[in-house]
Amino acid sequence: MGTPEVPIELYVLLSAILFVMGALGVLLRRNAILIFMSVELMLNAANLALAAFARQWGNGDGHLMVFFVITVAAAEVAVGLALIVAIFRTKKSINIDELHMFKD
Amino acid sequence: MELTLFVIIGAVAVVSAAMMLFSENAVHSALFLILNFACIAFFFLMLHAPFLAMVQITVYAGAIMVLFLFVIMLLGVERLPPEKQPRFPWLIPATLALALVFLVAVSAAIIQGEVELTDQEVEAPYVRIINALDGQAIDLYLDGERIARAVTFRSSTGFEARQAGEIDAALYAAGADPSADDPLLEQVITLKDGQAVSLTAVGTPDDPRLVLAAEDVSAAEDWGEKDKLRVIAVNALPDQAAIDVLDVTNADDAKTVIEALPYGEASGVTWIDEGSYDIGVYPTDDHDTRLAILKDADYETSTAVLWVFAQQGSGTATTVIIDLETDVRPSFGSPTHVGQLLFSRYVLPFEMVSLVLLAAMVGAIIFTREALGPRPRMVRRLANPPAKLEQPGAGDTGK
Repeated sequence: MGTPEVPIELYVLLSAILFVMGALGVLLRRNAILIFMSVELMLNAANLALAAFARQWGNGDGHLMVFFVITVAAAEVAVGLALIVAIFRTKKSINIDELHMFKD
Repeated sequence: MELTLFVIIGAVAVVSAAMMLFSENAVHSALFLILNFACIAFFFLMLHAPFLAMVQITVYAGAIMVLFLFVIMLLGVERLPPEKQPRFPWLIPATLALALVFLVAVSAAIIQGEVELTDQEVEAPYVRIINALDGQAIDLYLDGERIARAVTFRSSTGFEARQAGEIDAALYAAGADPSADDPLLEQVITLKDGQAVSLTAVGTPDDPRLVLAAEDVSAAEDWGEKDKLRVIAVNALPDQAAIDVLDVTNADDAKTVIEALPYGEASGVTWIDEGSYDIGVYPTDDHDTRLAILKDADYETSTAVLWVFAQQGSGTATTVIIDLETDVRPSFGSPTHVGQLLFSRYVLPFEMVSLVLLAAMVGAIIFTREALGPRPRMVRRLANPPAKLEQPGAGDTGK
């Protein structure tokens, strides 16, 4: 590995931007599925930073972290979407503003 | 070039993330998110993580996003009904302000160099010792610390990580006391990061020499030499001024592998194809006298081979070949590298993550099943229900 042409700072900055956009999506959107997708965006931003640091330190541990994050994200999506489907069956809506009560 | 690509793909990633946030239709959002994931996969490629790039495409852009699209379509929730009034009117300006503060803080830290990011770490140099001194077992001391003891003729130690820099190497006869006895040989050697150095003790017990064969044992792909392996030879024959190493697999057509290697020196790295070889050693000026031959040596790719041609016995000395094959490091981020880490240092986390996946699978089934409610009881029907026996009523009579 020669000296990288793209400095790691740029990767970290891009990762921070994507993370903030994901966080904005979680806070501002009202559609539960959109919120879920924003969470995925945040996880991906973190993955990008991990891969960038792994290259910087020439250390494979970062790659393993990314691998585990992707696996856990898959598990989380399976459970989360199942929850959304279950909620939709009872409430007929996935607008999270309408989901503020325990009873329907 | 790489920077231009980074800027273009980065712009696509940010724009697609923004489009995901702002599009009203959830299906469009999902498609933009797939585009964003593809950009991130591209970045993984640029960051020397080809395995992660492929996992990103197949698992994220493939499996997970298909699940999202499937649920959106299943529930028919592409659009939410328009809202009458937002529940928290202060939320939007507050989050935007927070996001701005976060971004400014991160950029300021990076620009000011508060984050220590610039040092690139390289692997430490590795050292091993090979004894090609006939009749003399040796101990090796580096900076006064014994790292190898009683290495006999024709044997070698494993690679050991050391600090880079200038190191005082001292060879002693096996079992000698460094505070009392004189060393056979003292020499200052220079170790560089990322190198694997084979220290070879050559010559005769009266006149030993230390030969450094330094090489980079990273994978062949890093060198642009796919499907090949590297060879280094050390001439440890005091009687021969220079030797040639020939590939004599085909007796009529000998090919030179290494040419005119002087005594007490290591050759440079030579790349050969994988396969089975007969390797012959000859004096440079006389290709009719074969000094030694190594028959049917099988070499595989992703290895580094070191040949030491040593002299056994004195007077009528014979030449022996010490043939050492080492596995090279897999190239950084390759599937082999990730797999090796996964099955060595990360076995436990790997198992735990698979348990999490299993639990998630069961959880998903339970959540959706409860939503269905109790399963409707199956009504058994017989194919031919028995006809009702008509009771003749009292009033029927006489009709």
